[in-house]
Amino acid sequence: MYVLRRLPSLIATLLAVSILTFLMTSLLPGDPALQILGAENATPEAIAAVRSELSLDDPLPVRYLHWIGDALTGDFGRSYRTNEPVSQAIIERLPVTAEIGLLAIVIALAIAIPVGMLSAYRAGTRTDKVISSTSFGLLAVPNFMVAILLILVFAVWLGVLPATGWVNFTDNPVQNLRSALLPALSLAIAEMAVYTRLLRTDMIATLQQDFVTMARVKGVSNRRILFRHALRPSSFSLLTVAGVQVGAIIGGSVVIETLFAVPGVGRLLLEAVLVRDLLMVQGVALVIAVSYVVVNFTVDILYSYLDPRISHGRSSARV
Amino acid sequence: MRGLRRPSRGPWTRALAAAGLVGVLLGTAACGGGDGDGNGGAAPGAQSDGGEAGDPVDGGSITVGLEAETNSWLPGEGTFNQPGLNVAYAIYDPLMQRAEDGEVRPYLAESLESNEDLTEWTLTLRPDVQFHDGTPLNAQALKTVFDTYLKAPTSRVAATLSEVNSLDVVDDLTVVYKLAETNAAFPDILTGASGWPFSPDAAAAAGPDAGANPVGTGPFVFESWQRDSRLVLKKNADYWQPGLPHLDELVFRPIPDEDTRLASLQSGDIDVMQSLRQGTILRARELDGVSNYEWLGSNSGGTTVNTSRAPFDDVRVRQALAHALDQEALIEVLGGAGVTPPSTQFFSEDSPYYSEKVAEAYPEYDLAKAQELYNDYIDDPDRSDGLPVGTPLSFTFQCPPDPSLNELSQIIQAFWSALGAQVELEQTEQAAWIQQMLSRDYETGCTRVGGDNDPYILLSQAFQEGPLNMTAFQSPEIDEQLDILKATADLDERKKAIEAIGLVLNENVPNTFAGGTLTVMAARDAVKNMDGWVFPDDIQGNGAANASAMWGHVWVTD
Repeated sequence: MYVLRRLPSLIATLLAVSILTFLMTSLLPGDPALQILGAENATPEAIAAVRSELSLDDPLPVRYLHWIGDALTGDFGRSYRTNEPVSQAIIERLPVTAEIGLLAIVIALAIAIPVGMLSAYRAGTRTDKVISSTSFGLLAVPNFMVAILLILVFAVWLGVLPATGWVNFTDNPVQNLRSALLPALSLAIAEMAVYTRLLRTDMIATLQQDFVTMARVKGVSNRRILFRHALRPSSFSLLTVAGVQVGAIIGGSVVIETLFAVPGVGRLLLEAVLVRDLLMVQGVALVIAVSYVVVNFTVDILYSYLDPRISHGRSSARV
Repeated sequence: MRGLRRPSRGPWTRALAAAGLVGVLLGTAACGGGDGDGNGGAAPGAQSDGGEAGDPVDGGSITVGLEAETNSWLPGEGTFNQPGLNVAYAIYDPLMQRAEDGEVRPYLAESLESNEDLTEWTLTLRPDVQFHDGTPLNAQALKTVFDTYLKAPTSRVAATLSEVNSLDVVDDLTVVYKLAETNAAFPDILTGASGWPFSPDAAAAAGPDAGANPVGTGPFVFESWQRDSRLVLKKNADYWQPGLPHLDELVFRPIPDEDTRLASLQSGDIDVMQSLRQGTILRARELDGVSNYEWLGSNSGGTTVNTSRAPFDDVRVRQALAHALDQEALIEVLGGAGVTPPSTQFFSEDSPYYSEKVAEAYPEYDLAKAQELYNDYIDDPDRSDGLPVGTPLSFTFQCPPDPSLNELSQIIQAFWSALGAQVELEQTEQAAWIQQMLSRDYETGCTRVGGDNDPYILLSQAFQEGPLNMTAFQSPEIDEQLDILKATADLDERKKAIEAIGLVLNENVPNTFAGGTLTVMAARDAVKNMDGWVFPDDIQGNGAANASAMWGHVWVTD
């Protein structure tokens, strides 16, 4: 029910995104035809030939309708620059970015949850202060700095992980994980700090609630109180932000994938923007927007699991 | 300018610069920039320490870190900059190639002869050469490639070949290139993508995906390509040059970031890396167990002025601006101090076309003289911009957004402001900036000047009517010398003509120069013969020029 009700606004969002990307890329200065030919070959005749071949001289609305019509059938066109089908390029690269992003979130949560809980449990103590200041410190370090440091330590000094490069999971799962680890860690560090801070705040509030005091009175162990009783109600902000932060991870992937020479969507987008590969930019932006919307939509649905009181379907029906 | 503080630059911005600046264009129009921290000490110029290669060893595999990915491997469709050239010379063989002495000689071709007036060039192929798919390399194959791919309206070499009217088959191994006009520089064209034969059968079968499935005659056979990740090539067992190639496998990996590419070489992820950045070259020199093959090309960073607009149509203004720039300071902000010598002309000191006389004629840093010229213009009642006497010049200087180029812009602004001019800086993204320069819709800005093409091609593009004449500067004297360059292959005559052009340019300064661009191939010591390639008749080639190698000749000892 809830899903159905949200569907129109979802579609409207995606439509708006597609129009905006289309407009922004089309209105950027810099002629794609010039980029395709290279300055040496940019005779007026050649430019005219390329522009007509790519239908760049049609009015914008016509071009947009053409593009969105094809896109709805899964045909995003062929890249101006590389001549490969845009959909194929995205399908090849999406798993790379998804794997690194997912791994980053898993690493960040795996560290942030216990650390954040510890920080809340020991609120005000020296442990809490150390954790807090460390989190702020990590938040302040940009991910490319982290990446360079990680490469220096793990690849150049210790020699245990590759500095750059990517191995497909299907070629070699172990090497695949090795090549994904440093990029994921670079993205995870800042996320980790955010998650720790959020969980700490919510957890402190939860730990002051009556049901926790009740559990304490009943003699429930601290570990059980923290993990079984307090974690779930304290993870709202964490979950919301984890959803929103998917955007940060995709943004970060543009930087991280370039540094680690990983063939992901971020790097694809960057290079497409620089050479005005319009169809590629539009395709990638649309796919990123869709994944962002879908993730946050999923987060919405997860709320009802975390707290049955706000189950979306029923609450509105009862009001 | 010693006191200038130079903020440190992030690797991310360098990545952007590398991806953006290098990927867009073949040298001439792209804007110049280097980065990193220059240190004094060593004399500027190329330093190579590869040493003796020893005896060839067969077998093994090496991985090469390139600075960017190439869009397509199909000549006519791909934009082959320094990274792409490396791959091209592994999969394809150039019909012609440049020798150590600068002369262009047959490589895959057996011979190239011209008629008396240099309008017809007869090329003879070697017998029994096959493409990797078994298709024979013959006259018909060359013709199909020429007609179907190279001369297509959207081909990236169409302009290069615009004066080649047709390619006619004479017999099975002989073709004639028929030119519209005399052109002594024609052989140079066949060193580039127009001269890399590929299998027309394979390209036709692959259709729009031909750029991802290259089939040439070269020492290595295409195996697989994951864009932006790795390209794997295997030894061509049936290669036409006996004894070559030495390696069993060759892997290319585009790693756009300078720091992480260097770190990959240090950690052993890659065996060879390429760089065009002065800061990286300095750091590579300090690595143990690494041999550096450096090369100083004729490409220089510099400024361009639009001479079709007042006040830049007046030579006094251009001279004043040139005299006001301290080249050493510009090189320092570009990170080339101690690495790159100042440039004074289109050709570097290593080029046969370099002229001492032209170097001496370059406007030296002289503020008093600059001021005098500047005042002379603004106090002239007939000044070309029509403004009242005494009004200071006010104009915009454009440059792409790159940290080292920002610094360059700022220092240029400081120099020109010292004259009394009001200089506004504007950052213009690379793609847009090139378009503005091509349509001459700008006042002043930064650019790259020079190049390693044949001087006729380079100078006629830059200073005759055409899209690449971004300064809009033309002169009958230059036209006259270009006619000589076009009509003769005699080196001494050509040098004389080029010198005359250089003198006209340094008198009129449509461009100013900063420093040249040093390039390096840095390789683990075990990788040998990076710069020792020879022609089939054993004539010495031009080494690891332009950060590219002839990979068929390279071997590895471990």
